[in-house]
Amino acid sequence: MTSPTRPDAAAKVHGAVEFGTDLSAPDMWWGALVLAPVPHGTIRAIDLEPARALPSVVAIGADAVARLVGGAKGDAERPPFATGEVVYPSQPVAAVAAPTLALAREAARRVKVEIEPRASVTDVEALFPDWPGPEAARSPHVAAHVRARYGDVDAELARSETVVAETYRTAGVQQVPLEPHACLAEVDGPRWKVRTSTQSPFGVREDVASILGLEEGSVEVEGTWVGGGFGGKGASLLEPYALLLAREAGRPVRLALSYREEFLLGRSTLPLVVRLETGVLAGAIVARRVRLLLDVGTSLPGRDFATGYSIGFLLGPYRTPVFEVEGYAVRTNKPPFGPHRAPIAPQAAFVAESHLVHVARSIGVDPDAFRAAHLWKEGETTPLGQRIGPFGLPAALQAARDRAAAWRAGLPAGHGVGIGLGFWSTNTGAGGEARVRLDGRELVIEQGEREIGSGSVLVGLAAVAARRTGLPHERVRVDYAGTRTAPFDSGVYGSRTVGALGRAVDEACEKLLAELARRAGVSAAVRLAVDGERIVLRAGAASRPVVELLTDEERRGGGATAAGRHFGVANEIDASRVVDGSFFAYQDFTGAAHVAEVAVDRATGAVRVVRYAAFHDIGTVLDPAGARAQVEGGVAMGLGAALTEEAVWGPDGRLANPGLLDYRLPTLGSVPPIEVVLLEGHPGAGPFGAKGIGEPPIVPVPATIAAAVRDAVGVHLTELPLSPERVARAVKALEPSGGPDADRPR
Amino acid sequence: MSGRSRSLTVNGRPCSLEEAPGDERLLDTLRWRLGLRGTKEGCRSGECGACTVLVDGEARLSCLTLSRELEGCSVTTVEEVGREPVGRAVQTAFAEEGALQCGYCTPGFVMALTGLLHERGSSASVEELLDDLGGNLCRCTGYVAIRRAVRRARELVP
Repeated sequence: MTSPTRPDAAAKVHGAVEFGTDLSAPDMWWGALVLAPVPHGTIRAIDLEPARALPSVVAIGADAVARLVGGAKGDAERPPFATGEVVYPSQPVAAVAAPTLALAREAARRVKVEIEPRASVTDVEALFPDWPGPEAARSPHVAAHVRARYGDVDAELARSETVVAETYRTAGVQQVPLEPHACLAEVDGPRWKVRTSTQSPFGVREDVASILGLEEGSVEVEGTWVGGGFGGKGASLLEPYALLLAREAGRPVRLALSYREEFLLGRSTLPLVVRLETGVLAGAIVARRVRLLLDVGTSLPGRDFATGYSIGFLLGPYRTPVFEVEGYAVRTNKPPFGPHRAPIAPQAAFVAESHLVHVARSIGVDPDAFRAAHLWKEGETTPLGQRIGPFGLPAALQAARDRAAAWRAGLPAGHGVGIGLGFWSTNTGAGGEARVRLDGRELVIEQGEREIGSGSVLVGLAAVAARRTGLPHERVRVDYAGTRTAPFDSGVYGSRTVGALGRAVDEACEKLLAELARRAGVSAAVRLAVDGERIVLRAGAASRPVVELLTDEERRGGGATAAGRHFGVANEIDASRVVDGSFFAYQDFTGAAHVAEVAVDRATGAVRVVRYAAFHDIGTVLDPAGARAQVEGGVAMGLGAALTEEAVWGPDGRLANPGLLDYRLPTLGSVPPIEVVLLEGHPGAGPFGAKGIGEPPIVPVPATIAAAVRDAVGVHLTELPLSPERVARAVKALEPSGGPDADRPR
Repeated sequence: MSGRSRSLTVNGRPCSLEEAPGDERLLDTLRWRLGLRGTKEGCRSGECGACTVLVDGEARLSCLTLSRELEGCSVTTVEEVGREPVGRAVQTAFAEEGALQCGYCTPGFVMALTGLLHERGSSASVEELLDDLGGNLCRCTGYVAIRRAVRRARELVP
C-alpha cells in the first residue's frame, strides 16, 4: 500500500499555512505577561498603575476574572494569576496589552512587583530524605498516592536466590516545539473567541470556561495550524490571559510566548526517582517492588493522572507473579507537570529495561534472552490483572535480537549494540464524533481537530475513509471547523487520532454506505469507486453514479451525510489488587523493540549513535509513509531525552537553561540513519485493527541507548540523560578495579 | 547614513524603511511591516534557523539582521523563492520526499538549502550541504526525510 503525498506539503514549503504565531487582526493589540521575578514567595504588592500610566496600555492582575467576567467566579483552584503566593519560577502575576509589542514589553517592565522570597523546593529527595512514610500521604507536598500489590513480596524476596535493589533518577525534559504558544483573542459581547495553536480545541474550550467561570457555549475556540505540539499544546496556557486582555482592551489581543518563556512556562515531564527490588529464583523473576517519587511541580492535588499510570511502565511488559508498587506525586516549586509525548514512558522504560538488564547480568544470563523469557504474551494477564490482547512485542523483540546479532558481528572497539523495549497502549478511552459528506465528486470528513504535523488528521482520517469506502485518497478531503460548529472530539493526543476519532469516521462511512445501498435497493456489500470524474456506488458488477442516489436537497446542499461516534473502549483491571489511588486499564497492547549501535569515546564520555533500527507493533498500517515518519521523529526525540536534554533547576530554584544553547536538541548531524520495520497482524483498538504510532517510537529510546552504551564500555548508568559527563565519570570509575556493577569492557 | 535611500528590495519590490526604527530586525520588518509571515519566528536568537531568508542570494538569519543594515540589498523570502529554479527545486524536493511534518521549520530549511546551493552550485557535495544545514532545527521529522530531500534537491539542481 502506498501513502498519498501529504495534502499540506505544497502549502508548507511555501510558508503558506497560518500558525498561531502568524495570527493578526487589523486593530489588534499585543499582549505580554508579567512574570514573577522570584521562584517562590509571598506577594506583598503588585502595582499596575505605572504600566497603566503609559498611553494606550491596559494592565490586568489578580482581580481580572472577577472584574472582567461579569461577576462570574472562575475556578478558585486555577486562578490565571498568582494570588497571595508565587509558587513556581516565572509564574504570571499580571498581564498587559498595547498597540505595539515594544510598548507592551515596556509596560510589563513597569509593573511593580513586591514579593518576599521564600525557599524553593526543587528536589523531591531532599523533601523526603528517608523516602515517604505512611504519614506522607497527608503532607501538603504530596498531590497523590497510589499503591497496588499482589501476593507477599517480602516473603518472595526472602526466598529469592538473588535480590537486585537499585535507585534510578531521570531528568525533566521539555517538548520544545519550534512554534512557541501563541493565540489571538477577541471578546464580542457575550462571545469569548480565541484562535490558538492547540492539540485540543474542545479541551481549551473546557479549560477556558472553567478558569474564567464561563458557560462552555459562550467560549469559541478555533485551532490554527500547529507548529509542533508533542503534548505541550493540549491544555490551555495563554488563552485565558489573552481573552481577559481582549476584554479589557476592547479589541483583539495577540499573545505569544517568547522562546525563553516557552521554556519557563511550558508544562512537561519533571524528574523521577525510582527504587526497585527484584527477586530471582531459578533464573526467573518471582517478585518485584517498585517505588516512585514523581515530581509533579505545582500540579493540583486530586488531579494527578500520571503516578498510577507511570507505575505500569515501570514494571514493564514482563511477567511478575508477585509485586508491590507504590508512587507519590510530589509537589515542588516548578510549573505544573504536563504531558510530553508518551508522558513519562521513555523515562520509565529506561528504568524498567536498564534494571532488567542489570538483573540478568547479575545472575550471569543474556539480557535479551532474559527479556524474551519474561515478556508478556497474548492471553496472559498484566500485574494489575488485565487480560493481554493481541500483542506484537514478542515478535518485535525477536526481530530486534536478530538484527542485534547481525550488528554485533565485527563490531569495532568502543562500539556497542543494545536493545530496548517500550510498551504502550493507544489511548482510545476518550471519545469523539465526526461527520462525512458525499457528493458526486468527493467525500468530505467534517471534524474538529487541526493537523499538528503528524499527519494523523489530514492523512490518517482520510486513510480510514478511503479504506472503508474504496475511494482513492485524492477523493477524500478532511475539513476542519472550530468548536462552534464542529462535532466534539477529545483532542490530538495519546496516539488516539486514528484509533479513536478514526473509529467515528469509520462508523460514519459505514452508515453512509448502508444508506446508499438501501436507496439503490441492494443488500450486498457496496463500495465507492471513481468512474471518470464521477463517484459511483458499486455492488458486485453493478454500479450507479452517486448523484443519482442523492435527494434533491442533498444535491443542492452539498451531498449525503452521515455521523459517527466513538466511545471509550471499556477495559478493566482487577480492583482487588489496588490499595490506594487511580490505576488505569489499557485499551490495547502495543510497543516496540529498538536496536542501536553506539560508539563511546572513553575519554570524553561522548556517545555517538551509529545506526538505529525500530521494530514496531502497529496492528494495521493505514498510512505507511506517515507511520515511518512518526517512528523516525519519535526516535530522534527519544535520542534527545537519552543523551542531551535535561531541564536544570538551579539551587536558587530557577530553570537554569531556558534556551536552545543550553537545552540541547538532536540535530541533523547527531541523528543516525533510522530503519523502520512495521509489524502487522496483532490488531488493536483502532479502525481495521490499527494501533497508535505517535507516541510509541519515543518510548524505548533511552533504554536502548543505555543498553548499547553498557555493551560498548561496560558501564551501568542509572541516571538520564546519559550526558558525556555521566558516561565519562562511570568509565573512569571502572578503570582501577571494576566493581560489582562493571561488565567487562569490549 | 543620511543621503542613502532608506529602502531595500523584498521579493523584487521596493520596501521603504523610513518608518522602521533603527533596531528593527529583518524578521519583524518582513512579518509585521510587510505581512510576509511565511518566514517563521522561532527562537529569535539565531539558534533554530526557522527565520532564514536570502539576502542577495545568500542565506541569512533574519532574526539577527537589522533591516537598516540591508539598505540597497535584495531580500527573498519563502513566499517567492519558488519563482527561481533553485528555490523551486528545493521546495519540490521537500514536498515530494515528505520532509516536513508540522511545517514550522520548513521555510527556514528551504531558504537555507537554497542559499547553500546558490553559493556552492554544482561543486557542493550532499555531505557538505548536510553539514552546513546543521544550524536548522527540526523537532518532528528526526531529519531522516530532510536528508532525503537534500539529496533529491542536489540531483534536481544542475
